[in-house]
Amino acid sequence: MSSKGLMRSQLLAATVAFGLLSSVAHAQQQPCIGNSAAVTGPAAFSGQAIKMGAQIAIDEINEAGGVLGQKLRLVQYDDAGAPPRGVDNTRRIALADKCIAVLGGFHSTVAVAQVEPVHEIGIPYMGVWAANTKAVENGRDPNFMFRVSAKDKWVARFLVDEALKVSKDGKIAFFYENTGWGNGALPDIKAAMAARGKELVAAETFNWNDQDMSPQVIRARDAGAEVVMIWSLDREGNQVLRAMDKIGYKPAVIGAWGISGNLGELAGPLANGVRVMQTYSFLTPQSETGKKMLATLAAKYGLNDPSAIKAASGIADAYDAVYILADAIKIAGAFDWAKVQKALYEVNRDGLVAPYKPAFDKSDPERNDALLPENYLLAVWHDGKLIPFKGSPYDK
Amino acid sequence: MSTVAQYIFSGLAIGGIYALVALGFHIMWSAARAVNFAHGDTLMIGGLMAAYLVASGWSLVLACGLAILAGGAFGFVLERLAVRPFAGQANSIGWMLTTIAVGIMVESLATIETQGYALPLPSPGVAGSVQVFGAGLYPQELVIPVIAVIAMAGLRLLQRHTLIGRAMQAVAHNKNAAALMGIDVNLVIAFSFALASLTGAAAGVLIAPVVQASATMGVLPGLKGFAVAIMGGITSAPGVVLTGLAYGVIEKFVEGYISTAAREIVGFSLMIVVLLVFPQGLFGKREVAKV
Amino acid sequence: MSRLHAIGFLLLAAILVAVPLASGNEYELRLFMLFLIYAIIAVGLNVLVGLAGLVSLGQAGLFALGSYTGAIVATRLGFDMISSGLIAAIVAGLFGVLLAYPTVRVRGVYLAVVTIAFGLIVENVAIEWQSLTGGTTGITSIPAPNAFGVALSGYAYYGVLAVSLFLLVLATHHLKNSRYGRAMLAIAQSETAARALGLNPTALRTLAFVVAAVTSGIAGTYYAFLNAYISPDIFTFTDSVRFLLMVILGGAASTFGPVIGAYILTYLPEYLQEFAVWQKFAYGALLLVVMFVLPRGIMGSLGALAARLRPAAKAAPLEAGLPAEVTLAPDASRPHAELVARDLTVRFGGLTALASASLRVKPGEIHALIGPNGAGKSTFVNTISGFYRPTSGACELDGVQLTGLSSHEIARVGLARTFQNTELFGEMTVLENVMVGYQQRLGYGIAAAVLHTPAMRREETRCRRTAAGLLAFVGLEAYANEQARFLPFGLQRRLEIARALAAGPRLLLLDEPAAGLTTQEIDALEAMIRKIAGLGVSVLLIEHHVELIMAVADTVTVLDYGQVIASDTPSVVQADPRVVEAYFGTSGHGATAEASA
Repeated sequence: MSSKGLMRSQLLAATVAFGLLSSVAHAQQQPCIGNSAAVTGPAAFSGQAIKMGAQIAIDEINEAGGVLGQKLRLVQYDDAGAPPRGVDNTRRIALADKCIAVLGGFHSTVAVAQVEPVHEIGIPYMGVWAANTKAVENGRDPNFMFRVSAKDKWVARFLVDEALKVSKDGKIAFFYENTGWGNGALPDIKAAMAARGKELVAAETFNWNDQDMSPQVIRARDAGAEVVMIWSLDREGNQVLRAMDKIGYKPAVIGAWGISGNLGELAGPLANGVRVMQTYSFLTPQSETGKKMLATLAAKYGLNDPSAIKAASGIADAYDAVYILADAIKIAGAFDWAKVQKALYEVNRDGLVAPYKPAFDKSDPERNDALLPENYLLAVWHDGKLIPFKGSPYDK
Repeated sequence: MSTVAQYIFSGLAIGGIYALVALGFHIMWSAARAVNFAHGDTLMIGGLMAAYLVASGWSLVLACGLAILAGGAFGFVLERLAVRPFAGQANSIGWMLTTIAVGIMVESLATIETQGYALPLPSPGVAGSVQVFGAGLYPQELVIPVIAVIAMAGLRLLQRHTLIGRAMQAVAHNKNAAALMGIDVNLVIAFSFALASLTGAAAGVLIAPVVQASATMGVLPGLKGFAVAIMGGITSAPGVVLTGLAYGVIEKFVEGYISTAAREIVGFSLMIVVLLVFPQGLFGKREVAKV
Repeated sequence: MSRLHAIGFLLLAAILVAVPLASGNEYELRLFMLFLIYAIIAVGLNVLVGLAGLVSLGQAGLFALGSYTGAIVATRLGFDMISSGLIAAIVAGLFGVLLAYPTVRVRGVYLAVVTIAFGLIVENVAIEWQSLTGGTTGITSIPAPNAFGVALSGYAYYGVLAVSLFLLVLATHHLKNSRYGRAMLAIAQSETAARALGLNPTALRTLAFVVAAVTSGIAGTYYAFLNAYISPDIFTFTDSVRFLLMVILGGAASTFGPVIGAYILTYLPEYLQEFAVWQKFAYGALLLVVMFVLPRGIMGSLGALAARLRPAAKAAPLEAGLPAEVTLAPDASRPHAELVARDLTVRFGGLTALASASLRVKPGEIHALIGPNGAGKSTFVNTISGFYRPTSGACELDGVQLTGLSSHEIARVGLARTFQNTELFGEMTVLENVMVGYQQRLGYGIAAAVLHTPAMRREETRCRRTAAGLLAFVGLEAYANEQARFLPFGLQRRLEIARALAAGPRLLLLDEPAAGLTTQEIDALEAMIRKIAGLGVSVLLIEHHVELIMAVADTVTVLDYGQVIASDTPSVVQADPRVVEAYFGTSGHGATAEASA
């Protein structure tokens, strides 16, 4: 058998044995945006929220004629919160689907893991949820990681400022979930405290699904904390509140946006007065874009009651992220990763969540984040609903 | 002092859940020499179903009752579908994997339904806290370990004084002999799985007001309940219940005096050490190998 | 190597060469590399699950150990991939030894729980030991694959993985077809019989755990270098289940099964993405279906199908057997074995099963031990063969103290036994059963087994020929390739004798060999026992069948209530009034024991 024939026969064998393989890759007919997010598992809501926000934006863009004459498409892959699957999805989106950008997901550990493949391949990444500081401030140049979402470093400053308004002496305890997000925020909080010349009196951690937090709460009480800052999801936030209730400990509670989902429903009256940072709320007076968005959510997804939209920030951030990407493609004039990365720094747009003027700033390494601290909202739980803090019964 | 009391009572509450779950494992193991690895999901079915029923307007008692029955039905069906076909095999891989598979499916359904969010189950037991020896607790938490002990005593009464209970003991002792005595062994096993699942779902209903109902609420209690059952000696009902309660308390003390993070490491290491010293568990019967 | 296996290896090699040429983009190649890594884990795990019959639900823990060790020495100490992998293999291997230790005491579902706990401990330590592991954030910036200071390109790294997998599959295939693989299978099927043949279960289980651990450790390092990033949530219980499933789905104990299982379960998630929120449900459903449709895995089911379609294919021609006379030729320096038991007492709680029982099997004789039910015969046999420990007293074989030795050590001294309730390795062939018996006389080591050296093959040939000869000796040569469990009962008893003889014993202990046999079979047995004794093997025969005893025994010892009440030639014993009383409850009945026993 000639060498050529041998090779052909091997290829034949490979095609027979791995017929499955080749069907993974299908050629792209239209430009797409790929999203790796948790569609299954405990944070399944996040993947669905991102899909809603992104899909609404894409549909609007396509109705208006698409981008560079082509219609955009959304591909979503599940990472179930596992970094390796996020990494695989990133490669699949970039190399097999040949999408123009990767839309990020919920988990900070996944976002941090994506930094490496994103830069190895050179595809723009647009975070819409995971707030880990280092995912975007990763020291790379050029930096392909962008974000339209909160950044823990800034959130930490924002919340520490709020906390210090309550406790002038800085008696603050920090409660954080034992995940990449929670652990990643710890240094940010410490730095924010140090910047104000203060130190945490207690730092307590817990796992997802922990049933009882009394040891942590007792330690915080014994340390004399007047404010408890919480970096957790609703479920564990509720456990912290209940543990406090049980031992009769009533500090002021301020949380990152993890407890902005259904804490009011879970904790009932205990949640009243708990302050939460958010990037977006559908319960404030809405802009024109916001009203249109609400109408679409009601028409397409049956979400008629704005207070029933649990992951407002996720939906809104994804919506804006897609528009910013579309603008960048138009500025770049091509579906080209490197060109789009450069063009992202030139995007100026009035978005749903914030005015992006400009969206990103190449001269400032901290400005691969589009949402600035002044865009953050302080909300507060009141009778099962999350309402803007300003003007609430707790705003004294 | 009040801190120590807090740890003890909080530990007993969570330990009560481990004890109830472990009791379920004991019941299944005694009958079938096999267990349901999706037993944690039975707990979740109980808790989540009750939460949904209450949310849609049912009364709490009725909702909880129905949820517990649903859990029992789940166990009954699962035994027939996933355990019995593999019960005769020499190794345990068959029923381990099938029940794990069913668990994955059930958990996935629950995640789709809840989108991963937790749901509240309002109960008068968590409306306000009470003080016991300086420890703050919900009445619900005080009730859980008591129910675990009552369930154990109830099981004993059932085994002593009812026909099905005696049949369960006979099957546990010797399946072939029981069959020769005219006992429908399959029926007894199915009943045992249903009973175990009733206790599992009851544990879910009991804990849901405290921890909230969610798709993943059963994962850790399921795993730890099994570890507790093995550690306590899966053949002994009082053994697993006692071990469960103790394990909960130990966990709280580790959390309180070492660190929250060390809890799982200390707990599972303890289990391995116990098994090395007492291969049949702390209170389990030693089986003499016959050549 | 059989022709089918040779084709399998050729196909595997061809696929491994063809895939990089055929893959359309880097993503496909990477996915395939991920499959290679998973396949390495699955093939190693197969030794533990498929051969040694132990369930591990903590394999992700060993994978994590390898991954973290490799990543840490690479990032902190600047080691290259090869040396990182070696260190990872050693660390994981040590933990494999540690994990194997509980198998001394616990098995089955208990062991499964220990492995689950191990996996969870590793996962949690990785989360908590932040200074070393980076905690939940994990370890980033692991260097690109490199060896001896040279960076490996994507294709070169692919080559490393592909060669590793190919060699591993080949090595485990050789291991399976060596004395180690046979011994593991034997222990999984009947630990009792294996111990009685001199196999050390703990050592072999440790070996199996170490193989599974070392392969997972190496795979972990490969994984760390492929991903450049690791974090604790890569190594969860779910992953342990998936690794186990790879083995089960592909076919436990088969050579290529785990590779196929790993392939399917690496690519499956890619296709399940279609189901979006339903994908986990679909995964669970698929797992359930597999367990029902292919309980023995893909290769197992294919094998069963092939066996049904072409039953003749299994009967490979038997090599010419070595005559049993050669096998059992006595050692010239110590021609015949002598067994002496002195004042053996065994108590179970308050029950005294043996009370100061003494017995001497004279060199070369056929010695029968009889007694009514419950007299303590089985206790006696199990005590001298090391399955029970005597409360007091001692026994020795040719002056070698047996008391205190474990059963496999006693077997190695030269005592072989059969079992009252036959203890065959049911899933192995008749020939393989006998080959397991020969185990202790094989001298080659693990390296020779894995490398399949010529010396090893020579020894194996001798082993097979000896086994064939012994099968001929007991008249089973026609059944050599049948599975032992399919043999009729009478033939199973003969197979047990052949297996015991393969060990080259100096004393053969037959535990009620005539029970359940027909008259003709007993006649054949009688002749066989004479022949065995004629070859210079001392025989201790425990029997109820008096006719057989009278015909073959040189000496008869009678046990009653744990005590020796008579020991003499058959005719003397037969007339002993105490013996008559033991059997009938009254003396002077006039009848001999023969009528009832």
